Amino acid sequence: MIGALTIARRETSALFNTPVGWIALTAFTFIGGFFFTAMLIGYYSAFSESVLNPQQADQLSVNEWVVQPFFSNLGVIALFIVPAVTMRLIAEDRRQRSIELLLTSPVSSFEIALGKFLGGMGFALVMTATTLPFMWFLYALGDPDSGVVISNYVGFILMLGTLIAMGTFASALTENQIVAFMIAFAGGLFLWISNWVVQGMDDGPLKTTIDYVSMLKHADSMGKGLLHTQDIVYFLSFIGFFLFATSQRVEALRWR
Amino acid sequence: MIEVQGLTKSYGDTLALSDVSFTIQKGEVVGFLGQNGAGKSTTMRIIAGSLGASAGTARVGGFDVAESPRKVQAILGYAPETPPLYTNMTVGDYVRFAASLKGVPDIDAATKKALGRVGLEAVSHRIIDNLSKGYRQRVGLAQALVHDPKVLVLDEPTSGLDPAQRIEIKNLIHELSLGDDRTVLLSTHVLSEIEAICSRVIIIHKGRIVAQGDLATLGGGAEKKVHVELARPEGAIDVLRKVPGVTLVEHDGVHLVVTGERDVREAVAAASIPFGLLSLQGQRLEDTYIQLTTRETT
Repeated sequence: MIGALTIARRETSALFNTPVGWIALTAFTFIGGFFFTAMLIGYYSAFSESVLNPQQADQLSVNEWVVQPFFSNLGVIALFIVPAVTMRLIAEDRRQRSIELLLTSPVSSFEIALGKFLGGMGFALVMTATTLPFMWFLYALGDPDSGVVISNYVGFILMLGTLIAMGTFASALTENQIVAFMIAFAGGLFLWISNWVVQGMDDGPLKTTIDYVSMLKHADSMGKGLLHTQDIVYFLSFIGFFLFATSQRVEALRWR
Repeated sequence: MIEVQGLTKSYGDTLALSDVSFTIQKGEVVGFLGQNGAGKSTTMRIIAGSLGASAGTARVGGFDVAESPRKVQAILGYAPETPPLYTNMTVGDYVRFAASLKGVPDIDAATKKALGRVGLEAVSHRIIDNLSKGYRQRVGLAQALVHDPKVLVLDEPTSGLDPAQRIEIKNLIHELSLGDDRTVLLSTHVLSEIEAICSRVIIIHKGRIVAQGDLATLGGGAEKKVHVELARPEGAIDVLRKVPGVTLVEHDGVHLVVTGERDVREAVAAASIPFGLLSLQGQRLEDTYIQLTTRETT
């Protein structure tokens, strides 16, 4: 596993050595901050309106009005930004032939896949950390429910993990980074919105299946502060599946 | 140290390698010779474990590459023709990364040693992207050397270099092969490099081994011709014919050509004729190579 960590460390620092990493980080923080500010303003005006009605004011929760929608919006931003971060993970190695160094070093295909994934994850954690000042701001001015905040962070990181695992796999499929981006983005979008399609549908196995696949559904319940095992299993099983698929793909590169 | 047995590789319908077998002993420096597309890189990639063979086995240091690739890779250094570089890293960081991947215990010391060996200490803080091709080739070598492997597999390490860089890399490989009992398999299509550093040659053509043997055997040919330059050749012919070992003496218009069953220079020199210059014109490696690789295989 040392090999995987070595690869991960290199990948994360490589992301910070390229414009792509910094642009992604800036875009994420800027757009995230923009949403955050907009939600605070919305919360503030709702609060002002309810001054005359103390009962209504009691029901205005910062969790519902700011924390939950903020993370839900971060998810949408991540949907666009994560594929831009993951597209180069393996595709670039293949194009510039540096994959040969990995393939001829004493590390297994799974370690390569895991290393690339963890490299992306390292970047994602830094990205997530840039939202901490926003939370600090909420704690300084209000009284958010720490359970909700934590479960939102857990849900967001698991979602990032799923998108990164899928992006790593997409990046292993091709030497072309744009193609890798498109595959990862389409896959992420499908997971995100698949339950929209079935909303009008009658209850049945098809609806249940597609509903289950939808990331939005699982992220939602975590957004409310509920850490259900089934949601965690959902994300972890996707991550596991794509890690396995990526390692199979890397192994297949040895046979071409 | 390297045993290759019946190696075959096909890409779809194209047969890249067909029943390739050879053995390289510990400490040998072997030249792998062949035209572009003959199967040199394919063979080397299979030995290094970055490509699977369709049939046959490759063993390095007693381990089967297909069965225990990690064990082979831990004792093997491989430098592909295009160095596998992360061009936005510095030279030092890249070699350190390679050392860590290969599980070297003391990464800093190993990196320093490898950079020193290939003469890259001065540029260790530079970004690889900004280096010349010769330097990049050296970074590729440093990567292959960093874990002090028992076996080095170098795929055209001098390709695309200018003559001065070529000589530098050639000398470097020569130094690497000295001592340490390192086994080296080196591919090239530059014959002079093989003649300068290798003790043995394997010639591959269209995916098949067409010849292998000592440089002396492949390069020497069965009979030796000695050119004798004389001021007045008349009379010398009869003397030369009586020299032991000489089978034929001809006059090619410029000098006398003495053909013997072995190198007869010493005998000729002892024959007390007033010669100006003696030179050996045995069959050279180039002749063997051209002969073997231009022959159409059916």
